[in-house]
Amino acid sequence: MSEPVAVLMRKAPYGSVYTAEGFRSTMGIGVFEMDLSVVFVDDGVYALVKGQNPAGLDMKPLGDGFPMLPDFGVSKFYVHDQSLSERGLKADDLVMDVEIIDDAGVARVLESCGIVLPF
Amino acid sequence: MLYTINKSPLMFGNLKSALRIAPADDPILLYEDGVYAAAKGAASEDTIRQALEQHPVYVLQADIEARGLTSLVDGIQVIDYDGFVELVEQHHVVPWL
Repeated sequence: MSEPVAVLMRKAPYGSVYTAEGFRSTMGIGVFEMDLSVVFVDDGVYALVKGQNPAGLDMKPLGDGFPMLPDFGVSKFYVHDQSLSERGLKADDLVMDVEIIDDAGVARVLESCGIVLPF
Repeated sequence: MLYTINKSPLMFGNLKSALRIAPADDPILLYEDGVYAAAKGAASEDTIRQALEQHPVYVLQADIEARGLTSLVDGIQVIDYDGFVELVEQHHVVPWL
């Protein structure tokens, strides 16, 4: 069994390529059946907001992809509570059910993974 | 876990964000533009002083020399590339990019 991996998402979607690349990496790691946690902190939480429609940017809605990831073997999604509340968001505003965790919770998830991939 | 910061503390929130998450005693490494957080007299000085109360803070020598930083906040440990490698050998890395 390989070491557990955390994908750490800290950036907003659309403004840069990070969210899309983080999503692609997550799907790829999931396909290889590795133990994977996806952690959303800071502007990373915006990737999960409902109702994204980037048609005017000629881009695909990134939020729609995440709820499909359990089909690819990825089931551990964590969202930092303060990052949500600072942005006026609640769990209901997100595209999928996630585990909401505090500062120490984020640290524990990262600690439990040998490898942290930052996006 | 070793939390690594490579962005200027005055342009980006990376340092403060990492400090919010990093548990006490976990080491912090400043490199690339992250080393500006080590500068004495910068507006970020209070932040790094608070960090030093809870964490060992390291700064990469080549990056402070490249930027002409000579006056560092007391308590920050200057390390060279070998020291960087040692830290990475001893800890899993959380790159707070």
